[in-house]
Amino acid sequence: MFSKKTAEQIQLETRPSGNGATAFYNNPKYRGWIYQSILFVFIIGFFYSIISNTLDNMSAQGIKSGFSFLKTSAGFDVLMSLIPFETTDSYLRIFMIGILNTILVSIIGIIFSTILGFIFGIAYFSRNWLIKQIAIVYVEIFRNIPVILQVIFWYTVFNALPIARESLNLGDAIFLNVTGLYFPLLVGESGSGVVYGAIIAAIIAVFIVKRWAKKRQELTGEQFPVLWSSLGILVGLPLLALLVTGIPFHFDYPALRGFNFQGGVSVIPEFLSLAIALSVYTGAFIAEAVRAGIQSVPKGQTEAARSIGLKESKIMSLIIVPQSMRVITPMLNSEYQSLVKNTTIATAIGYPELFTIFAGSALNQVGQAIEIMFMTLAIYFAINMVISLVMNHFNKRTELSTR
Amino acid sequence: MKIKNVVMTLAAAGLVFSAQTSIAGTTLDAVKKKGVLSCGVSTGLAGFSQKDEKGQWSGLDVDVCRGVAAAVLGDASKVQYKPLTAKERFTALQSGEIDILSRNTTWTHTRDTSLGLNFAGVIYYDGAGFMVSKKLGVKSATELNGANACIQAGTSTELAISDYFRENNMKYKAITFDTSDQTRAGFESGRCDFLVSDQSQLYALRIGLKDPDGAIVLPEVISKEPLGPVVRQNDDEWFNVVKWVVNASIEGEYQGVTSSNAEEMKTKGNPGQKRLLGTEGDLGEKLGLPADWAFQVIKQVGNYAESFERNVGQGSPLKIARGLNAQWNKGGILYSPAMR
Amino acid sequence: MSVREFKPLPAQPAPDATTGPIAWVRDNLFSSPFNIAATVIILASLAAVVPGMVDWLFISANWSGTSQDACVKDGACWVFISAWSQQIFYGSYPTEEIWRVNLSLCLLAGVIALSFLLPDRLRNKVAVPAFLLLPFICILLLDGTMLGLTPVTTDLWGGFSLNVLLAAASIIVAFPFGFLWALGRRSEMPFARSVSVTCIEFFRGTPILALFFMGSVMLPLFFPADVTVDKLLRVWIILILFMSAYMAEVFRSGFQAIPSGQYEAADSIGLGYWQKTLLIIFPQVIKVSMPNILATFVMVFKNTVFLLVIAVPEMLQVIMSALSNSNWLGGHAIEGYLFVGFIFWACCFSMSLLATTIEKKLDTGHKN
Repeated sequence: MFSKKTAEQIQLETRPSGNGATAFYNNPKYRGWIYQSILFVFIIGFFYSIISNTLDNMSAQGIKSGFSFLKTSAGFDVLMSLIPFETTDSYLRIFMIGILNTILVSIIGIIFSTILGFIFGIAYFSRNWLIKQIAIVYVEIFRNIPVILQVIFWYTVFNALPIARESLNLGDAIFLNVTGLYFPLLVGESGSGVVYGAIIAAIIAVFIVKRWAKKRQELTGEQFPVLWSSLGILVGLPLLALLVTGIPFHFDYPALRGFNFQGGVSVIPEFLSLAIALSVYTGAFIAEAVRAGIQSVPKGQTEAARSIGLKESKIMSLIIVPQSMRVITPMLNSEYQSLVKNTTIATAIGYPELFTIFAGSALNQVGQAIEIMFMTLAIYFAINMVISLVMNHFNKRTELSTR
Repeated sequence: MKIKNVVMTLAAAGLVFSAQTSIAGTTLDAVKKKGVLSCGVSTGLAGFSQKDEKGQWSGLDVDVCRGVAAAVLGDASKVQYKPLTAKERFTALQSGEIDILSRNTTWTHTRDTSLGLNFAGVIYYDGAGFMVSKKLGVKSATELNGANACIQAGTSTELAISDYFRENNMKYKAITFDTSDQTRAGFESGRCDFLVSDQSQLYALRIGLKDPDGAIVLPEVISKEPLGPVVRQNDDEWFNVVKWVVNASIEGEYQGVTSSNAEEMKTKGNPGQKRLLGTEGDLGEKLGLPADWAFQVIKQVGNYAESFERNVGQGSPLKIARGLNAQWNKGGILYSPAMR
Repeated sequence: MSVREFKPLPAQPAPDATTGPIAWVRDNLFSSPFNIAATVIILASLAAVVPGMVDWLFISANWSGTSQDACVKDGACWVFISAWSQQIFYGSYPTEEIWRVNLSLCLLAGVIALSFLLPDRLRNKVAVPAFLLLPFICILLLDGTMLGLTPVTTDLWGGFSLNVLLAAASIIVAFPFGFLWALGRRSEMPFARSVSVTCIEFFRGTPILALFFMGSVMLPLFFPADVTVDKLLRVWIILILFMSAYMAEVFRSGFQAIPSGQYEAADSIGLGYWQKTLLIIFPQVIKVSMPNILATFVMVFKNTVFLLVIAVPEMLQVIMSALSNSNWLGGHAIEGYLFVGFIFWACCFSMSLLATTIEKKLDTGHKN
């Protein structure tokens, strides 16, 4: 009459040990605790020995510790800084300059690598054979060469430009020479505040129009030409403000004075080469991701879109790319993070980002490796954390809601 | 059984790396025991430490290593060269990875007092100077206000030029490069208007230019850069050995002992030469070295003049004049303490 | 009235305009105004750039000679590369002992070939131990002391062979570590999980240059005062840890690709945790992760170039130090960089081709 047996009885009978209990070391729960305690002891011992060795070594070698060096004067010049800097300023200021320069080149790199990546990723599907080949060649060349070589290459290219007195000249306004790229700076006079206000108002208006148009489409199905009307607002409103206030702007043109160009905005070749190298290198990886993303969209989607009569260009932008973003976004996240980490190759060409001037020049003058490396790494972690947060937020929006 | 093999292989591989771990006792004993001197040098600096196509090292800095190896081990070739970047050079010495650092290192007060290191003499009196393009028409460094400067990163020059420009109320923009070759390329392309570097390097950089005559070295020398070998502090025995090997090669020149006539001088020389070469007196014994220590240095590496001319002087592509680095009685400031 | 029999007309050849090279050109190069413009621009810029490059690279290049004086023509000075070739490929390794480097490289190639050619049932039993032993055998061989050969100290190792062997040795040793970290990350033990996550995130979040830098400047401080650890060993440790973090992530996505039915089936036949993991899950994870493992290898291989910032004589560092030799001060940087770039490109490109091939071969239709 085995049908009468309860599940509990069966369990009891199938247990191997006589008294119905396993030995405690065979219990996964206890075993887990044993493993973890061993790991814990090991890690504590590991860190204890590292820290005590380090302290011993530091005292034996007379290496200073602490963060007081941040207040002392650096005494060396920095090539490019977004905040005012004198050679008498402190190491803390060097640290800040490094962070800002890292962030600047990262942002520029992220923007341009994304643009390049999407252009070449989509170009892979071009009907023009040559364009497709170029997309393939671009990806295969640039992702397979160490990025440090690429940055050196671009720097060599910039070094081949003419010297300051023989600059490439575009309308006496934009100059390109071996010391960098110079273009005029727009300087606001009194009354320019009205124009700035108009620009902000235009941006707000565009958002309102966009929301209203979306609502209207949901309700009535009618589309509203958002792009053209937004452009109209964005151009028209500031233009109106300009005319009303009588154009309160003038250009500050760069001009050759003494050894170099003065005035205007200048971009140094170190920055340009690093930004180009990072954009091109990361762009190749993003192009690969975009290609994979587009290929992941089922073919039926394209066919369905054609069957409802969408134009080929609209199919890409309205149907394929939005769906492929689900695959692309997580990859973009890791590519952006590796771009930020790769900014450290600036050390090969001397662009003064965090790793080069703080973990490089400053460390060399101060010699406090532990503190400086700790601060440097913390910044890279922080930047990557921000990227991760933003991209995860973006990812949530593109994820399939059924998941 | 397979696991046993794995463990054996692992253990053997571990031994390979750990074989050279102990630096207990004095450096001199350790070097004698190892039978080889490990010497920290630059990754590549024309005339001071450079590797050729065959992997052979040569240069003024390298000759210090070879001299010490000759004095201690009797064989100038028993040197293990460890190329180091500017950033890691002191750590490598402090941690015992190298026995002596001979890497165009400027003797400064801070380094001598706060790094747990000792400078064992000066083998080259250098100073930072300027190179400009002839086309610029600049005759003096004081005309360089507002110019761009090419500098090699992580050198004491970086600080010297900042001081100099501040002192003269001038502005400059520093463009730093990682290697001297990049610095030269930057100067040649016009990225910067002038190049600042140790004078010894200026000459090397200048002959690397496509048109060496198109560039001139300005008369100003803006800093003192005495370069010399460095050892760990609190090891006086080893400190003495390195210090006196440097002095022996300077004294060799002063006494007129060269690698070709050292053998002869050993028996036929005057008392000073004999004392230096170990046939008289007990200079070697007092250092804990064989009696013929200085003889080996001069025989195998040459005296200071030979070493200088071979590496940076007229016998080399650099063609640097002796200048400050001549003997004290010939217009320079090289002066070895008395060998007695 | 008879029904007319249906007789198909004989098939006509396709219109001239749809086949043949002209049609291909029209379809693929000039299909729309935009494409016409694009084609013209691309062809024009190729025509402007390529001839000059070919001339500089090959036609007016200097090919033979042993010193800088041999470079008299306007083109590239390949003499620089050929004169330094031994340094570039083998570093300062003694000439008469170079067979040991070559043997190590052959062993590496042999083990890789073995793992692809062996029949399935032998593969895991032979290839896995062979892989795991390989780095240590290579070290013994290159060092030579234990095998009774002439000892060659690590400061003489260098050149391109160092890039290859270092990358291979790192990824092989990183395999077990990465697998353990990936297991730890999936583990239900909270402490083990957080340790694994910390390790993985630390080494993935840190720029490799900073890690190398720590290996050269900070690691010596971590060891007891009377112990010095060989620089190459420190670099190797750093690379292993770095790779382990990336491999752990590769394995993690591998784990996610294994259907949960596999775990349940393994549980149901009464396998323990390690049996389940090593016998059922591991082989499948390796299989699905293979293309990613290769991609990770390509990454670390490219990253070995960064070692030049801490003066490890890898390929690019050899070029850099050759550029500062007083007999070669003419500035052959471009030739050097191009050469290094080409070698790396050739290796990485063939590996990415290999990865694609494996991906296609392994695609046994388990996806959906």
